[in-house]
Amino acid sequence: MNSRTLWLLGAGLLCMAGAVSAVETQGLNGANPHLVHLVRPRTAPLSAMAQLGRAIFYDASLSSSGALSCASCHSPDHHYGPPNDGPVMLGGPDLSRQGARAVPSLTYLERTPNFSIGPEQSDDDNIVPAAQMAALGQQTARAKKTATGTAASAANIVPQGGLFWDGRADTLQDQALFPLLDSREMDGGSAERVANKLRHAPYAERFTGLFGVGVLNDTRLLVAEAMFAVARYQFEDASFHPYTSKFDYWLEGKARLSESEMRGLQLFNDPDKANCGGCHLSSPTRDGLPPLFTDHQYEALGAPRNAALAQNRDPTFFDLGACGPQRKDIADQTQYCGMFVTPTLRNTATRHAFFHNGVFHSLQEVLDFYNFRDTNPEKVFPHAADGSVKKYDDLPAKYHANVDVSDSPFDRHPGETPAMTAQDEADIIAFLNTLTDGYRPEN
Amino acid sequence: MKTKFLSTVASSVVAAALASSTAAFAADYANPNKLKTATPIKHIVVIFNENRSFDHYFATYPNAANPAGEIPFVAKRHTPTAANLATAKLLTNNPNDTDTANGTGATNPFRLDRTQANTASQNHAYTPEQEAYDNGKMDLFPKFTGHGTAGGVGAFGTSGQVMGYFDGNTVTAMWNYAQNFAMNDNNYTDSFGPSTPGAIAVVSGQNNGAVNIVGTSTQTVNDTQGGLTLIGDTDPGYDSCSSTTSTVQMQGKNIGDLLNAAEIPWGGFMGGFDLTRTNLNGTTNCQRSTFSSVVGAGTADYIPHHAWFQYYKSTSNPTHARPSSLQAVGHTLERNGETLDPANHQYDLEDLYGAILAGNFPAVSYVKMSAYQDGHAGYSDPLDEQEGTVQLINFLQQQPDWDKTLVIITYDDSDGWYDHLYVKPTWASYDATADQVNGPGQCGTGVATQVQPNGLKGEPVNGRCGPGTRVPFVVISPFAKPNYISSKRITQSSVVRFIEDNWLDGKRIGGGSLDASSGLITDMLDFTQRPNDKLFLDPTAGTVVVSVPEGHHEGRHEDRH
Repeated sequence: MNSRTLWLLGAGLLCMAGAVSAVETQGLNGANPHLVHLVRPRTAPLSAMAQLGRAIFYDASLSSSGALSCASCHSPDHHYGPPNDGPVMLGGPDLSRQGARAVPSLTYLERTPNFSIGPEQSDDDNIVPAAQMAALGQQTARAKKTATGTAASAANIVPQGGLFWDGRADTLQDQALFPLLDSREMDGGSAERVANKLRHAPYAERFTGLFGVGVLNDTRLLVAEAMFAVARYQFEDASFHPYTSKFDYWLEGKARLSESEMRGLQLFNDPDKANCGGCHLSSPTRDGLPPLFTDHQYEALGAPRNAALAQNRDPTFFDLGACGPQRKDIADQTQYCGMFVTPTLRNTATRHAFFHNGVFHSLQEVLDFYNFRDTNPEKVFPHAADGSVKKYDDLPAKYHANVDVSDSPFDRHPGETPAMTAQDEADIIAFLNTLTDGYRPEN
Repeated sequence: MKTKFLSTVASSVVAAALASSTAAFAADYANPNKLKTATPIKHIVVIFNENRSFDHYFATYPNAANPAGEIPFVAKRHTPTAANLATAKLLTNNPNDTDTANGTGATNPFRLDRTQANTASQNHAYTPEQEAYDNGKMDLFPKFTGHGTAGGVGAFGTSGQVMGYFDGNTVTAMWNYAQNFAMNDNNYTDSFGPSTPGAIAVVSGQNNGAVNIVGTSTQTVNDTQGGLTLIGDTDPGYDSCSSTTSTVQMQGKNIGDLLNAAEIPWGGFMGGFDLTRTNLNGTTNCQRSTFSSVVGAGTADYIPHHAWFQYYKSTSNPTHARPSSLQAVGHTLERNGETLDPANHQYDLEDLYGAILAGNFPAVSYVKMSAYQDGHAGYSDPLDEQEGTVQLINFLQQQPDWDKTLVIITYDDSDGWYDHLYVKPTWASYDATADQVNGPGQCGTGVATQVQPNGLKGEPVNGRCGPGTRVPFVVISPFAKPNYISSKRITQSSVVRFIEDNWLDGKRIGGGSLDASSGLITDMLDFTQRPNDKLFLDPTAGTVVVSVPEGHHEGRHEDRH
């Protein structure tokens, strides 16, 4: 690295609650002066269960087309995310049906909490029902989400956790079944059809070894165990949570950030600038768990409608996330309509489809949305025939009030200065690129 | 009772430790090793874990599936047969599979793999457990107790999951303890229901006499004598960490009161109890929490509704005050013999380790692990449970007083996990809504032929339907009959009874406590046998190890601040 006399030292503040904030200067050549010992998941040879899960994960015969396995859309060469540029993947019997939403990455799900409204209730003997929590949430004030004070917002009584964009599955086992049976995706047909395929698969014997002789005769149990095996593969195999990004190594003192990357980190965690760290947590936990770059909470950001999705040709169709249509159990909690979960930003720089509807194709477009949504909405939303801006056009008017306008940078108004300059955006993108796994630290 | 003493194991280490342990006692503090006891046992440690039924842990004992790639469990020769699913031939053609009332949950028992240690928790309330029992047919578990919460993101869950069981490839330590020491396959909770009634039972044998302190608990029944019986979970009144909307206290006595009257050193030791401590992850106070890599999530260490003695004014430490010193642990007064020690016998689990290392090993210790290690499905799991339990037992076996120690591992409730062994109610109850085991409003043969057990005031009360669910009971001690399974009926209050028989000349709590009528655990003990060798296990694998593992304080990551 070129030595420079002035480098930003704000990273040193990472060891305090919150994140890199104030700008200090000191000559350290882009190194992290406050090293962190990161605790990564233990790696061990895959258990028999996980090996079975791997076989199933790659088994395309489970799809009606015979061409799609889990790995087709969750590509191992693309950080278990989509392998192409489309907003959604194509599936179904002849690979022509669009999926409903952009494919999430399967990386970094191993610490996802169960879906809940408000912080998870750890002891389950007397559970407060979701509807009750939701009602409580409407009466309780919410702490603002700022990158330097994430502890406060962690207690907000808002939806959090769960898998998929809408949190409708709590476990990886439950999640795996949805794409398998979805007629737009692997189109597995039914549990019975899937079970029959499993019974005749080359790995069928492994079920009885693990679960006993009765398992092959019990369709429900067989499918559940198969999905668990897939989940177990994801849980155990290090490639799903390697924590080998340049940023991880920087935290540990094994890499240096460039000037641009360091500026990007600063901006990421500056509450008056991008404030990404308010939701995309960037600090390791006190006991050394690497940052996940999400607090798992839900937000309605009002992203533009994606005309490339066939389902959007129907002007009355709206994908409302937590309140439907895929998730059905909290449809009456209309204060959550338009809310989707905050995804991890790890490996996001390798994606080409961003947000639940894949409306953005590059990080530049994403950052422009954050930057201009409120100060210059004409830059990020479509225009009506009369020239007016169709702000929040992917959300019915009655739910526009659900959109976040209180957490920076969403608290600005038309005509105000945007939070980021073009250089700021470029620096943040440079920083986001340090979150991609597979970085090789120099020794 | 026999009072033969074993000759102490001669060793310079032990002698030196004994010398230092006597020095650790203040002039007027009782030394447990010198107390008069009915048996040679001078120290009992009750490790009170969470939420597992007998068949759920021992269904195929001592035979494990031993799939490829897993550490095989090999049974010792001459292991006696347990009253489990294998022996009862209920692994197939099980009534929970054939009874269509179970709907899509109908299933035979099935093996849970070690990789499935993290599962959802089942429904383990007083009434659904009775309904699952279906008047002895034991065939409606999926229908009534089979509704679980999710567990961690990597958890296994399926309808009918309540029929799942672990074997020695997962609960390896438990099986190894059973092989080398003794266990009972006829042990039950005193009554149906979840954690708090179980906690109350194991210290008092009486869950009648609850009073609301804050709010109105939904977990009591009208006992028909003007009072309340606690049949479910509610936090203890006045405890700093308790719910702010609903708490209760119990008005009867517990074993701690009897031990106090006799000045016998004792304590309750719970993970997370010390609110002044800060965990490695920065959490402190009532929010102390620990991350479990098995579950993939953290959970709060201290759970108020598991805190046995906090329900009783006389034995509680509502503010979690710290003891005045390690020497004071177990004692009512400070060393000066005048001031009440602030902790009032309720301590952090770390205090048990600390006190023992300082030469102060109480006579009676009740232990609850930090929640992530307490074994409760959902937020904990058998592997974390094993780690905490094995670490403690390895530690205790290294102490000079091991030769006079009895460790009990048992459970507060079954979580609603399937168990096949029905027992007709010994203790009846006839609450129209809550009691269902023998029919609507019926636990027992009817008021005319089977009156309910007495409550605190000496009159029959509802809410004590029992015995409840069958849960494991393992004893580890030099005196435990090795590789022995006792079938003498015992329940949670049998622990109370043993303490009373051993230290208190059989004094009873009274007030309708079941201590007087519960079974004896002594069938599992032999005070004349050659003392058992120590058994050290690897805390992670549960397997037998030859060399003594690293001591507790080096191994516990929580300690590294």
